[in-house]
Amino acid sequence: MTNQTKSQFIAVASITSELSAVMVVAKEISLAAANAKAIAFRAGDKAKGFQPITDFINELAKETIELVTNINIYALVLYRLTVDEFQKTAAYNKFELAAKMAEGAVYAKSMQEPVDHARLSMQDCQRQFKRDVSQLLGQLEAVMHHARAARVIAANSRIEASQAGEYLQSLQAVAESVDKAAHTIHDNVQRCRIALSIYRNS
Amino acid sequence: MKMTKIYEGSHQWIMFGRDEGKPNNIIDTNQYVVRTANRCLLLDPGGAELFAPMMAAVLHHAPVDQITDLFASHQDPDVISSLGLWDQALTNAKLHAPAIWEGFLRHYSCESIEYVPIPDNGGTIKLESVELQIIPAHYLHSPGNFHVYDPQAKILMSGDVGAAIEGPDSPVFVDNFAAHVEKMRYWHQRWMPSNQAKRVWIERVRNLDIDILAPQHGRMFKGDDVKRFLDWFDALQVGIAV
Repeated sequence: MTNQTKSQFIAVASITSELSAVMVVAKEISLAAANAKAIAFRAGDKAKGFQPITDFINELAKETIELVTNINIYALVLYRLTVDEFQKTAAYNKFELAAKMAEGAVYAKSMQEPVDHARLSMQDCQRQFKRDVSQLLGQLEAVMHHARAARVIAANSRIEASQAGEYLQSLQAVAESVDKAAHTIHDNVQRCRIALSIYRNS
Repeated sequence: MKMTKIYEGSHQWIMFGRDEGKPNNIIDTNQYVVRTANRCLLLDPGGAELFAPMMAAVLHHAPVDQITDLFASHQDPDVISSLGLWDQALTNAKLHAPAIWEGFLRHYSCESIEYVPIPDNGGTIKLESVELQIIPAHYLHSPGNFHVYDPQAKILMSGDVGAAIEGPDSPVFVDNFAAHVEKMRYWHQRWMPSNQAKRVWIERVRNLDIDILAPQHGRMFKGDDVKRFLDWFDALQVGIAV
């Protein structure tokens, strides 16, 4: 196995690992939203501005979970494609070696068709991998977008929390937890993007 | 890869082995090819490491599109881990292999090759006018194990039975049976698990008219050495590791 193939396997496998952490965090945001909603309800008019924000946070968390679920399915497809590409490349190399070793054999030329076919299959796999990586990067960008939106919401939440009197601390804690979660999602997804981006144009 | 024609009649048997390019840390294997006018059967085609030299060697005898059949005596990697590569190289081939190993052997990848499962009681492989008999050899050493007998050529391809570990320069036929025995003893005692299975197989095989006994490792036996081997094996206690 070449170093490039090993890195490719690791990159694809690391997406699932990073995204499972993102999933945990997104669920935490969803929980924070439910918590915030309860506090805002108790706070009544003092947290009037906070109430629509909690719905928005919840919606954002749900969308992030949905996106990550889809990306995980896609990452599995990408992993299978990596295995397929590895097998096709190994076959092509063996076929070329067989053709070279068969030089001078009566039926040496008959090996040309399997060699050509294996090369085309390998190239198809490589092209498909690049296409799929591009699409996956697009989906990861959507998650990043959600993370950025969550940070904006966290900033707004802090402002609204400051109006909430005795509920200030509880609502600020919600805003902090959303902000922290958004950071984590951003960082994890960014690592996925860096790991994959080298394969988009390789 | 050394090639030795061991039968020439209406069809041919060719033995391939003693591959000088083989990595030292993998076991040496014998592969056999049965060649008819337009078809070619590879018996125990070997491990993935051996694919390229084996394919190159076969191309001296048949074009790729006439390699129509593969046979795997059992599931071991030195027998058939090249399956995934043959599967990609051959567009219209069949793999004859034990039925009980199908789900296992497919792990090597078997998409374009048709898996022809061999039932426990054996069967036949028909190559144009040649009909080969598939002889049950279960527990010698694998739970699902078969050998191939050609009544016309009087050759029994005997898988791991009769095997010995030899150097790369050793002759392809046993030339001194008494001296060869020690190369086989531990192999058979350790790898063959069942005295009962051994006795049943010997009884079955003694009814066949055999000129050449062709194992997957080491040297082939011909003429009187075939009977000498059966007598020696009959008297040997196997399954010594328990």
